Amino acid sequence: MNIAVLLKQVPDTTAKITISDGKVDESSVSKWSMSPYDEYALESGLQLKDATGGKLIAITCGPERAKKMLTDAAAVGADTLIHIPDDGVTDSTHVQKLLAAAVMRFESNVVLCGKQAADTNGGSTGPGVAELIDAVCVTLVSEVNFLEGDFTTIRPSNSGSEKVIVNGLSVFAFDKGSLELRRPNVRGIMMAKKKPIESITSSDLGVDLDSSNVIMNSQTPPPEKPAGQKFEGAEYVNEVVSRLRNEANVI
Amino acid sequence: MNFTIIAETNGDSLHPTTYQLIGAAASMGSNSTVICPNGECASEAAKINGVEKVISATGDCFSVFDGGAWASALSSMCGKMILISASPNGREIGSRIAAKKGIPIIQDVVSMTEGITVSRPIYSGKAMESLTISGSAVISLRPNAFEAALAENDAPINIIDQSADVRISIQEAINKASERLDVTEADIIISGGRGMGTIENFSHLEEIADTVGAAVGASRAVVDEWGMPHRMQVGQTGKTVTPSLYIAVGISGAIQHLAGMRSSKYILAINKDPDAPIFGVADYGIVATWEDAIPALKSALSDLQS
Amino acid sequence: MRIMAYEALDFYDVDSLLTEEERMVRDMVRDWVDEEVIPNIEIACRDGVFPDEWRVALGEMGVLGAPLKGYDCPGLSYTAYGVICRELERGDSGLRSFASVQGSLAMYPIWDFGSEEQKNYYLPKMASGEWIGCFGLTEPDYGSNPGDMITKAEDMGDHYLLNGAKMWITNGSIAELAVVWAKLDGVIRGFIVEKNDPGFSAPEMKGKHSLKASVTSELVFQDCKIPKDRMLPGVKGLRGPFSCLNNARFGISWGALGSAQACFDSAKDYAMSRIQFNHPIASYQLVQNKLSWMLREITKGQLLAYHLGKKKDSGTWIPEQISLAKMNNVDIALEIARVARDIHGANGILDEYPIMRHMANLESVKTYEGTHDIHNLIIGRHITGIQAFTREA
Repeated sequence: MNIAVLLKQVPDTTAKITISDGKVDESSVSKWSMSPYDEYALESGLQLKDATGGKLIAITCGPERAKKMLTDAAAVGADTLIHIPDDGVTDSTHVQKLLAAAVMRFESNVVLCGKQAADTNGGSTGPGVAELIDAVCVTLVSEVNFLEGDFTTIRPSNSGSEKVIVNGLSVFAFDKGSLELRRPNVRGIMMAKKKPIESITSSDLGVDLDSSNVIMNSQTPPPEKPAGQKFEGAEYVNEVVSRLRNEANVI
Repeated sequence: MNFTIIAETNGDSLHPTTYQLIGAAASMGSNSTVICPNGECASEAAKINGVEKVISATGDCFSVFDGGAWASALSSMCGKMILISASPNGREIGSRIAAKKGIPIIQDVVSMTEGITVSRPIYSGKAMESLTISGSAVISLRPNAFEAALAENDAPINIIDQSADVRISIQEAINKASERLDVTEADIIISGGRGMGTIENFSHLEEIADTVGAAVGASRAVVDEWGMPHRMQVGQTGKTVTPSLYIAVGISGAIQHLAGMRSSKYILAINKDPDAPIFGVADYGIVATWEDAIPALKSALSDLQS
Repeated sequence: MRIMAYEALDFYDVDSLLTEEERMVRDMVRDWVDEEVIPNIEIACRDGVFPDEWRVALGEMGVLGAPLKGYDCPGLSYTAYGVICRELERGDSGLRSFASVQGSLAMYPIWDFGSEEQKNYYLPKMASGEWIGCFGLTEPDYGSNPGDMITKAEDMGDHYLLNGAKMWITNGSIAELAVVWAKLDGVIRGFIVEKNDPGFSAPEMKGKHSLKASVTSELVFQDCKIPKDRMLPGVKGLRGPFSCLNNARFGISWGALGSAQACFDSAKDYAMSRIQFNHPIASYQLVQNKLSWMLREITKGQLLAYHLGKKKDSGTWIPEQISLAKMNNVDIALEIARVARDIHGANGILDEYPIMRHMANLESVKTYEGTHDIHNLIIGRHITGIQAFTREA
């Protein structure tokens, strides 16, 4: 079984984000990490690999620095490491096309990814790639199992959660679950060092990166929070709750 | 311009976000065509101001949620600009329709103006991005970021039957008593301190937590002296949390507690002592006893939910 | 999912010089310390226990005996070993002591001076953490002066008989084996004593105010009978134990920085949050002076440790260079802990903060593996050629 896992390297979620010249300043990011939801996908992929004896293909579309993340994935058991340089990529449709092409090139039987990346917070990649490869997609899953030729997974439902069974080529997009990504060990790290990373470009994949009709105007710091407001008396609760919704947008 | 809006329901009626999508379109000076998957709530949709027509999309393909099947069934009925809620299902259907049509999707938009220029939060809200879209696209709107349209209309409803391959089937429902979230996972946390009086009074905080899907936290004093479980402790020797909203009830705000929750996006403090240090870090502070404030908070939050 | 990843002070980007392997090892240990050690260390310290789960985890991660090659040992660089020690000691010096003793003091002598049979028998079990080792050199009356030790081994024909006692032995009571240095016909030799050998006991030393999350023991030999094949054939004299100590001291020169970084991190965080006279205390000049001094010493110490790691890996080191690094880095770490406690004010005495635990631990670290003063004299002898340890020539 070929298990494709789509990974993205993002600024660590605890890292400070600084803006300069209307753009997020990547050079000031102190730490880059695997996007947290992708970790769940990777762990699930490794468990599927352990259970079925398959091969795990870790794929990322990103700049040079993203290769380190692939080596980290190798340290916990990824077999094949694919780096798609992101030159010429200007939006998520490009990324989806590249990942879809790579997934098909490696004859993947199943594709796992995080529900959304911690930087763009979009969530389009899993379903978008599924559409491009004509696969069924289940999102917000917490675990994936393979039994007698079928994939089953658990996803939320109105009454809690439900176990669903899917047919054919599938994409699973992971939410946080109880499966934490396993820790590497020294042996894994030393073997990972030797594992080659294959770089495959958009032209190798036969993907044409056309111009996008979305232009990024600017990236700015979030709107200033209003200064702390203090209210005397419980009669102000309603006022505060409505500010939490309308001003702060947190409920 | 006419926006295609994909409706979402909430039990027997339209989800408030559908009204917000239509309102957003209207604020751009546009009418909407609303597509109701599975034909649900089509007549309700027809009453909303700004709706030019409603398409009631019926078919067996809508009986289970399979994003691919839904997108396949809905896509051909969509126009050039498509609005959908940035709910989990909305994001998924939107992504598949966009990929199918070869158009971009912009997710979780919080404002939209002529151009079409949109803005959306990135890096979990640590920054904002402004984008301009020229041409066809799918846009998902963050719930509660746009004003809802009113309902004084009477638009026509077309029923169109659709079919698509459904590749997901439900094997079993797992109705486990939904466990309350842990403080490290929740986006909203309501924490109690000594000011709550007794451990039994925490049940009031738990009710609020269940109303909004929050986690319940506790200060060290409550854990050490009243036996609250240690995993609920927020602070220097407990958990460090970064929710979007931290509600501190009856917590004075000693430095050890602040160490654990200072990085919350927004802090609401409720304390009867106007000089409590917690008010120094709170975005919103209410000087009141918990006995007065908590029931009011509970009813205000329940009202919001409905 | 990690909530608040620790960012270690690295003002001159010394960590950017690490190889990818060293960086990955660092991150593996750092994450484990964040997730498993930091949340549990204060209880372990209060209870005075070394959690067995940590032994298991260290074995699973494969960091025990880090720089040793072959026999299922990790085979990492000495720099990687230093990094491991630093990350462990950021958690607790007692935790790092466990790893130092296991790797540098118990596994290393078998690896360097043992027979093939001994290496094949003991090393894999120790690398996996299945068997814990300890190092018996120091005696109640012979600390800085190990050469005059009185623990004796007698050749009885078909076995050795050991008599004597060792003291201040990390891991002693929980160890499966001890590498014991004793005089056989007046010459110091190494012997492997296993816990069930008759006449051997390892009572725990209680009542410590330092290294409380570490097990410290006496090793007592009362006509202790050990088989003949337990002597380490490859070394005679003090060169044996001193080779082990050099390796451990190297690890400690990095480890102390971890402790210093933890204290600095806490002090900085506290100073930024603590408001007095309407301002965070980090805005006051005296506090900034202290933080600035800490940064200065940590940065110097990092460069010392890193360069020493390179010399160790290239085989171009001398023991005096290790003495300098151990002495300097532990000395400044202890001072940093004290100044950090000062910055924390009264809060600094609570185990809500790690400060006084580090401070108390470092008192031991300053004393063991060669006291501060001994290392000072080692350097003095190197400079002048004149030994100043004893009155005699």
